Amino acid sequence: MQLRDYIIRRLIILPFLVFGVSVVVFTLTRIGGSPIGVYLSHEMSAAEVQQLEERFHLNEPLYVQYFYWARGALQGDFGYSGVASAPVSQVFWPKLAATLELSVVSAAVAVMLGLWLGVFAGVRRNRWQDHVTRVVAVSGASLPLFWFGIVLLIIFWANLGWFPVGRSDADIWASMPHPTGLYMLDSILAGSWRGFVDAVWHLILPAITLGFGAVAIITRMMRSALVEELQQEYVDAARAKGLPERLVLNRHARRNALVPTVTVIGLTIAFLMQGAIAAEIIFRWPGLGRWMASAVVRGDQATIMTYVLFTSVLFLFANLVVDIIYAKLDPRVRLGD
Amino acid sequence: MTTYRSRISLSVSALALAAMMPAGLAAQERQTIVHGADEEPATLDPAAVEPGEGGESIIFHVYERLLTVGPDSPELMPSLATEVPSLENGLISEDGLTYTFPLREGVTFHDGTEFTADDVKYSWDRVMELNLPGSAADILADKIAETRVVDDYTFEVTLNEVDASFLYSSVLPMTASIVSQDAVEANGGIEAADEYLSGEMVGTGPYTFGTWNRTENLSLEVNEDYWGEMANDNVRLELGVDPDVRVLGLRAGEFDTIETDPTYVPDFGDAEGVNVYSEGLLLEPLHIGFNMNVPEGNLPEGDTIPTDFFTDVRIRQAFNHAFNYSAFLNGALGGFGEVNPHYVPIGVFGYDPEAPVYNEQNLEEAERLFKEAGVWDEGFTVTVVVESGSLFEIQCLILKDSIEAMNPDMRINVLGVAEAVFDEALATSPVNYAMWAKNGDPAADPIDYLLTYAHPDGEWGEAHGFRQGYENPDEIASMIEEAAVELDRERRAEIIGELQRVLYEDPMWIIGAQEGAVTAYRDRIDGMVIQPLWPRPSINFAILDKTSE
Repeated sequence: MQLRDYIIRRLIILPFLVFGVSVVVFTLTRIGGSPIGVYLSHEMSAAEVQQLEERFHLNEPLYVQYFYWARGALQGDFGYSGVASAPVSQVFWPKLAATLELSVVSAAVAVMLGLWLGVFAGVRRNRWQDHVTRVVAVSGASLPLFWFGIVLLIIFWANLGWFPVGRSDADIWASMPHPTGLYMLDSILAGSWRGFVDAVWHLILPAITLGFGAVAIITRMMRSALVEELQQEYVDAARAKGLPERLVLNRHARRNALVPTVTVIGLTIAFLMQGAIAAEIIFRWPGLGRWMASAVVRGDQATIMTYVLFTSVLFLFANLVVDIIYAKLDPRVRLGD
Repeated sequence: MTTYRSRISLSVSALALAAMMPAGLAAQERQTIVHGADEEPATLDPAAVEPGEGGESIIFHVYERLLTVGPDSPELMPSLATEVPSLENGLISEDGLTYTFPLREGVTFHDGTEFTADDVKYSWDRVMELNLPGSAADILADKIAETRVVDDYTFEVTLNEVDASFLYSSVLPMTASIVSQDAVEANGGIEAADEYLSGEMVGTGPYTFGTWNRTENLSLEVNEDYWGEMANDNVRLELGVDPDVRVLGLRAGEFDTIETDPTYVPDFGDAEGVNVYSEGLLLEPLHIGFNMNVPEGNLPEGDTIPTDFFTDVRIRQAFNHAFNYSAFLNGALGGFGEVNPHYVPIGVFGYDPEAPVYNEQNLEEAERLFKEAGVWDEGFTVTVVVESGSLFEIQCLILKDSIEAMNPDMRINVLGVAEAVFDEALATSPVNYAMWAKNGDPAADPIDYLLTYAHPDGEWGEAHGFRQGYENPDEIASMIEEAAVELDRERRAEIIGELQRVLYEDPMWIIGAQEGAVTAYRDRIDGMVIQPLWPRPSINFAILDKTSE
């Protein structure tokens, strides 16, 4: 099958998949009870509860409720978030932008640092530098993120006062427009050096917390892949023909060691999305994860629905993109069979 | 009435000072008080806000009411009205039905429009017309027969019946805040306004509404044109801050004030730069309710009690005797609080310190009563539902310990659930649990508590079937109703004291304690006062002064 046909076919199927996902998600959230709880107080009378149920159509059968929800969603109305005290659609983008910024920066730090450390340890195999790196890597992979974050918080925020929590200094944040919601980008667009420094300063602790586990995984993978490559015959051949060690490493061994590592990096991004929830709670990062966590605790179903639907669609697209990239990279991969 | 003239002169001098300074300079010198708040406001609309909810404090600072209370005493003071109506000054009519409020002239809303009696009428009528579920609209709607604009600066209201608590229970609460008629009408009028006003505010108060970044922060800015004494510093509330992070943040100096409860005080120890304020008591008694209205077969699985279990007064008394008050007060509350006569909390009018209260664990008496009621030998299992992770849950666990230690056959299941689940369980009719725990809504007048928590046909009385439980429900009802309309203060206090005694003999709640008013703040904040009659966290930011460290 042609790649173009494949893409078209997948795109046609996509809305049906989204519909299926939404039905499943809607049903699952309702199993946890009616969403009315988030609008109630314990002092309300039964008549008041009924009045609210009628207002939100919660007295109707489930499929009718789904219809109301789906109609709203198609018009861009995802309901009212009791946690944020505002319509979901109004709050969603700023939160998503905050989470994206944190995840992307953490991922970038993790990938760069992880690759460098992996190479650093790999070429110094079984020397003390390798052992130190291993200890760091193992601790990174095994320390629970929420604990590590709180330790950083206690040391660097509460005791030393070097780093802030939250996402921004409120005054600096208010001093510029936020067309993209990505603070670093907004501050560059606004030409505010102060804003950029503020953005980076706030990112450091959560990014370290979130990235640390990923650094560990990438480092371990890169190191072992590199060690393996360095034992290959082509490396001996390269050395034998008199290539300087730097070129042997950079041009040959490291390149080949990257292939398995890249697969792991892909998995790491998913890890970061999960970890973002804990990191956002600890560091008061106003992103999707923190919002979602309170929504789950308080039974804010409009928010939960939107979040799950969003991530599902995101994964559907990501899968499509991955399939396409695979096909491009490796002609042996055949699509749609 | 001390500061009346001095307030005016102060405000005049403040105005003069402000006029001399370029506006930008004055604004620059202001500090920002950063408050670590608990929850996101659900709404900022006075017509929708729920008593005790996070939005009340914002409403308190941006809007004003006709009357207010100062920091040091529960006495009513003028605010947008220039006098407190009373029989003596003739502003309450002879028959006690009509209240006249002379209004302050020269007050402007934050959008520059003038404040007049029309705004007062509009604000109150709007609350009553919308009558939103969950709001406190009934404190106006149930009492008021008519609102009238006499002239631009005189507002009159006629009640359905004589009501001794009207000023405290209806004029003082946030629901009675005065909104700008022009602003509301320009944004969709009464009907649509509950959406506009839930996130926007145009008031007359010492603070103007700044920005609200959902789930992040909310800022208030000093109203430079305030008619009274101008606030010193701007305010930023950091919203939804986890309790541990609040404590750490205060230590780190990130926050100036935080929402605290007594359980966090030990965490401060001797932390540098942190002061702990602990004077007075909150007006939100911590209680466990008895429900006598559960239909047959609706109790949670495992409960062995008959549905009329708590109609036996001896069992209710026995529970009250068995509770370990000192463990709760000195343990969970860290000693910040008092044992509490709930129906008339300490600090509200009519509280009689001579009346008996359950304040000490008395296991012999509890045992005697359980035996007399015939439930000792066979034992029982009853579930108490509560928000998990809360102070109320600790109260339930102490009850569990107290009862089960007496007799292992008597069992209390503490069912901790999420807040939304708890709220739903309690708002269901009938409530399918025989016991639950929470705190009472704060109120300024004893009659609010008595009607809500003690009257056999009141809110909880009806829901929980107090009529089936009280020895003499009609007597209790008529006493409460009498106290509600008695304008003679002495006689009123007498009835309320008598009610305290009757309700001691016939308790409908277990009252763990009345929580102490406690807050922790940085020592760079001057003038910290907690007034329980102000909405939670019971702080008035306008009177605080932040000095640079």
